[in-house]
Amino acid sequence: MNFGLSEGQRMLKQTARDFLTAECPSSLVKEMATDDKGYSPELWRKMAELGWMGLAFPQEYGGTGGSFLDLAVLLEEMGHACLPGPFFSTVVLGGMTILELGDEKQKRELLPLIAKGELIITLALTEPGSSYSASEMMAEAIADGDNYIISGTKLFVPDAHIADYIICVAKTAQGAILFMVDGRNPGISCSLLKTIASDKQCEVVFDKVKVPEESVLGDLDQGWIQLQSILRRAAIAKCAEMVGGAQQVLEMTVDYVKQRVQFGQPIGAFQAVQHHCANMATDVETSKFITYQAAWRLSEGLPCNQEVAMAKAWVSDAYKRVTLLGHQCIGGVGFMEDHDLPLYSKQAMGAETAFGDADFHREVVAQELGL
Amino acid sequence: MEFRFTSEEEKLTKEVHEFMERERTPELLAETLELGAIYGGPEGRKICQKMGARGWLCPAWPREHGGLGTSEMIKLMILDDMAYMGLPFLFGGASMAGPAILRHGSEELKKEFLPRIAQGEVEFALGYTEPQAGSDLAALELRAEDKGDYFLLNGQKMFNTHCHVADYHYLAVRTDPDAPKHRGISMMVVDLDSPGITIRPLTTMASWRTNEVFYDDVEVPKRNLVGELNRGFRYVMTALDFERMVTIGMFRRLFDELVDYAKETKVDGKALGKNPLVRQKLAEMAIELEAARLLYYNLGYVLDRGEAATFHSSMEKLFACEVAQRVVRVGMQMVGAYGQLQQDSKWAPLQGELEFQYRWSFLHTIAGGTSEIQRNIIALRGLGLPTPTA
Repeated sequence: MNFGLSEGQRMLKQTARDFLTAECPSSLVKEMATDDKGYSPELWRKMAELGWMGLAFPQEYGGTGGSFLDLAVLLEEMGHACLPGPFFSTVVLGGMTILELGDEKQKRELLPLIAKGELIITLALTEPGSSYSASEMMAEAIADGDNYIISGTKLFVPDAHIADYIICVAKTAQGAILFMVDGRNPGISCSLLKTIASDKQCEVVFDKVKVPEESVLGDLDQGWIQLQSILRRAAIAKCAEMVGGAQQVLEMTVDYVKQRVQFGQPIGAFQAVQHHCANMATDVETSKFITYQAAWRLSEGLPCNQEVAMAKAWVSDAYKRVTLLGHQCIGGVGFMEDHDLPLYSKQAMGAETAFGDADFHREVVAQELGL
Repeated sequence: MEFRFTSEEEKLTKEVHEFMERERTPELLAETLELGAIYGGPEGRKICQKMGARGWLCPAWPREHGGLGTSEMIKLMILDDMAYMGLPFLFGGASMAGPAILRHGSEELKKEFLPRIAQGEVEFALGYTEPQAGSDLAALELRAEDKGDYFLLNGQKMFNTHCHVADYHYLAVRTDPDAPKHRGISMMVVDLDSPGITIRPLTTMASWRTNEVFYDDVEVPKRNLVGELNRGFRYVMTALDFERMVTIGMFRRLFDELVDYAKETKVDGKALGKNPLVRQKLAEMAIELEAARLLYYNLGYVLDRGEAATFHSSMEKLFACEVAQRVVRVGMQMVGAYGQLQQDSKWAPLQGELEFQYRWSFLHTIAGGTSEIQRNIIALRGLGLPTPTA
């Protein structure tokens, strides 16, 4: 068992840390909360120049040939910086989905553009009445000659309002099918939801949106299985972000309690505070290992249903606990809107429910146990 | 990163596993629980001496001392499986006195004890705690006076589990009463058959036995001093880093039995395993056991890189012991009223083990360093937080 990063991963991590510290200060994060687009095009361009979007794409598709594990290392740093913007949507929900399910034409057409930072993509799955269950899905795609007509309402779609393509999951007579839908299609209306993390999640209404057959992504009759694969990847990618965020909260808290003096000494000398910090450190460490185990298995193409579910369940709760204790240690000033900590507490809440919350994934584990 | 074992590791641990599968007996399993998982009982000695003969008890030791020269990772793997399979897994010799003698002992002591520890022939009881020295170990008072060619020992030890089944005492004594507390302590090996030692049993609420031990003018030869005079506290601290590498194997085994129980047992016409609350709680325990497993094997990774375990082992011990308590509590919750039934009672589920484990569970966050101490260590040595000034 090797719990360490490779030399390449260490360098990637350090580069990302340095870059994001300089280019994504918390002031930018706060600014983007009220920005309509939710990201800085300048920063986006620089990230593309660093090769980040195409990090896990093969070189033949314009990427740098890294692994999913490498991408997880990068996502951890993005979580650490609380990076706003459509990177996760575009690369994890969009790019990695196209890489796995797209035909040669789709891959050659879209992946290089994503790698260059010229496309924004997202995935529309959840609906008002159903989270991830096929049976309750209402969005429909009706076959019509060489086209499909899609109608339905999707919720919590990140960055849909700026997306060039929305991968929409809709039900047909054959089951769930994924469609690459042009985001500018007139039948689509996006409205930004006001979320706790100000992370640009949208309600997306598809009103008789006509898409050609060629927009189908993947196999017509493997819809649900394909979706499971996308969700697994998204869940563990989200965990990587969460690990980074939790690590930052721990660092922020330790720095604070070393400096804050009360009763004649730093509050970090008091056992109650020390114990909170120890609990936070334990949550961060376990989250890191359980996430990277699942990410490694996914990266290696090993079965990872159980490991991904375990990670998402654990980290969903652990990150929240870390933010709670962070607030407890940082006290009154940490409750102020202009402090950095609330950025993370809010991020934690949003991340907790993305791609299945702890209860959802514990049920997956229960099934894996054969109960 | 690599979250799997090498084929070399798998091959050896498979061999050990199959051996344990063949050799373990119901008597052994019963003895392990009766003794609170410590080594030294007759059944434990039978199987572990066979394992020791194959170098499996201290596999990471050099061959000249009875080991196989393997990694620490393999040692952890074997220990975990021993705990899972129902063998004793708390070894005073292999885990504590042995490594100390290996690191600090004279050539004479090493030759005398290491092979016998590795082969499971002799067992050591830990002799640290005293009535007034628990978490504050440096407050120990058992006096060892220098009498020329021997030390004269007088005093008392408390909660020295193992003494009644062990051959030797790995004893922390005060050799310099005038020095600051932690600078006047030495470590010695004492033959428990020595005249002047009285071992008095104490019964725990988990029904297994621990002991208070009295030393009245006990003579210990100078050669039995481990390492340097008055440097014992430092050795103890290092040893505790190792003691704290607790295996959660016994609780993984219990958990697997709880899952089987949930699948097979019907309550109000429905299998327990179909109850959503049961599913959530068992899944939660599966996840925590997995997180604990990763912290445990991270210790192997750290040690095999030549780094000191320090706060890593404190974190592992802290987490593992709290998970152990939760596994037992979830089990009790799941079986409801049946959880109170003892081993010999009619209707007792899982042979009454839950009831027994519940009584034992209160100790897990106390022995081997309380959870409070572990959290202090994580904060001070892991996060660099300051010590309080008066």
